[in-house]
Amino acid sequence: MPTSRGAVEDFLYMEARLLDSRQFEEWMDLFTDDAVYWVPAGHDDIDPSRHVSIIHDDKAQMAVRVKRLRSGFAFAQDPASRVHRLISNIRILSEDEDALEVTCMMLLVELARKKQTIHTAYCEFSLLTGRTPWSIRRKKVNLLRNGEVLESTPFLI
Amino acid sequence: MIPNIDQLILNDLIHRSVYTDREIFDLEMEYIFNRCWVYVGHSAEIPEPGDYKTTFIGRNPVIASRLVDGSITLLINRCRHRGPIVCQHELGNSQHFRCPYHSWTYDNSGALIGVPMPQGYGPGFDREKLGLAKVARVAQYQGFIFGCMTEEGPSLEEYLGGITRFLDAYAAVSASRKIELFEGTQKAGYNGNWKYQLENGVDPYHVGALHLSAVSPEAMKIYRQGTGCVIAMDGHGVTDHTDWGPMPADASLSGGFNLVIFPNLIVLRSQIRTVRPIAVDRTEIYTNVVRLSGVPEEVNLKRMRDQELEFGAAGTFFTDDLEIFERTQEGLQSGAVEWLVFSRGLDRESMKGGYMTGGMSDETQHRGMYQNWKRHMMAASSAMMAAE
Repeated sequence: MPTSRGAVEDFLYMEARLLDSRQFEEWMDLFTDDAVYWVPAGHDDIDPSRHVSIIHDDKAQMAVRVKRLRSGFAFAQDPASRVHRLISNIRILSEDEDALEVTCMMLLVELARKKQTIHTAYCEFSLLTGRTPWSIRRKKVNLLRNGEVLESTPFLI
Repeated sequence: MIPNIDQLILNDLIHRSVYTDREIFDLEMEYIFNRCWVYVGHSAEIPEPGDYKTTFIGRNPVIASRLVDGSITLLINRCRHRGPIVCQHELGNSQHFRCPYHSWTYDNSGALIGVPMPQGYGPGFDREKLGLAKVARVAQYQGFIFGCMTEEGPSLEEYLGGITRFLDAYAAVSASRKIELFEGTQKAGYNGNWKYQLENGVDPYHVGALHLSAVSPEAMKIYRQGTGCVIAMDGHGVTDHTDWGPMPADASLSGGFNLVIFPNLIVLRSQIRTVRPIAVDRTEIYTNVVRLSGVPEEVNLKRMRDQELEFGAAGTFFTDDLEIFERTQEGLQSGAVEWLVFSRGLDRESMKGGYMTGGMSDETQHRGMYQNWKRHMMAASSAMMAAE
């Protein structure tokens, strides 16, 4: 039976909530060991082996970011940004036996240093659905402003 | 009121207005960015004839254009008719630039080659004199392209001085002795003065403090146990930690050096960082990532992946730098304290190889850059006094 969009929604809402509520370790646990967490720079369709990105992490690098955020010395997050993510326009692009390609739109509102910043992004996820909970093999966040001058973005996107 | 510039930079103190005064910023645009050699891009960004890059020299929008003979010309990106920029793309390849407003068209060397309905202009209309204005001088060193808005003044090599030796060493890490660039640019902005980034590019003292959450204990040994130095070099700043090893191919935080080439270029590890002052309290940073020839592809990839982890707009090092620049701008709004302290190492610096040189955590290089700043800005004072 094909996966329902409702099940995908539940998963993506949970992923967004883990980040909003700063449960970074639980968020990282969603990713496979060979996962890629990618925020392209310039435009959405770049070759990350030839073109620089804003973020292009393997799991070890994601762990470095999380460890820094927990260190007590990540001054750009003192106080921590408050973040709300709204997830919408969810589409299931393809489904194999235990894998899903899904996309969604994200509206991310950050409050930091009394200033509210809005990011929007077209997000792509490769999900493994063979086991519960599902896991993320690839998360790609195509920020609308990925070619523009960005303010410091010290939180996980 | 024009501030008395010679009293703003003392040997060990800098006045806060250097970072907060709008009139001083205006003078910097005129007397530093319109007088010095300013970095505009690297040759590897525009390798083929017809390639162009748009950028800025201070407030001047500029097109760096590669001509058929391989030379590079710097054009002022402003239609000679009624003023719009004639090229709105960051990078591209074109034989001509056309202003869409009235279709005045220029070839990529700047010559005016097309004016619709030219009969409307009288006999005095001279196309030869209406090409895109040119930046007075353009020169390259190791592929780094600089423009200078004035005909007078030192040549680029004279201006770079001792820095040329370091740029040679930087290029020599590549087997071809020429650096290459990954595609794309990382862009970040902050609400603070442009000179914070210049200071910070050669500031070993802050690494173990501000970057405590990001720097490894092994890398900290460079700063705490090394015998490296900071150098005030011909108005530019150098931190030299080649005692810890030469510039490493993998661009790890180990041996090598950081360069701040006044007023807008920073070269360190895998990065070419361009500083663009927007306003007294607004700055943009554009970073290109350097590839090497003759190294395994995984080494080049590591250079880029480390850069993204540490120095993009989301980088583990860079976000704290951007944060402290904004906090500094906020703190300096207070007139209750007029001066910033730049005295570190004054009592232990000495001349070595012709340059004032300090210990690894000292501020000798900053004092040198601000004496350079003062020298250029004093020319502003003199000009204004002459006008009065």
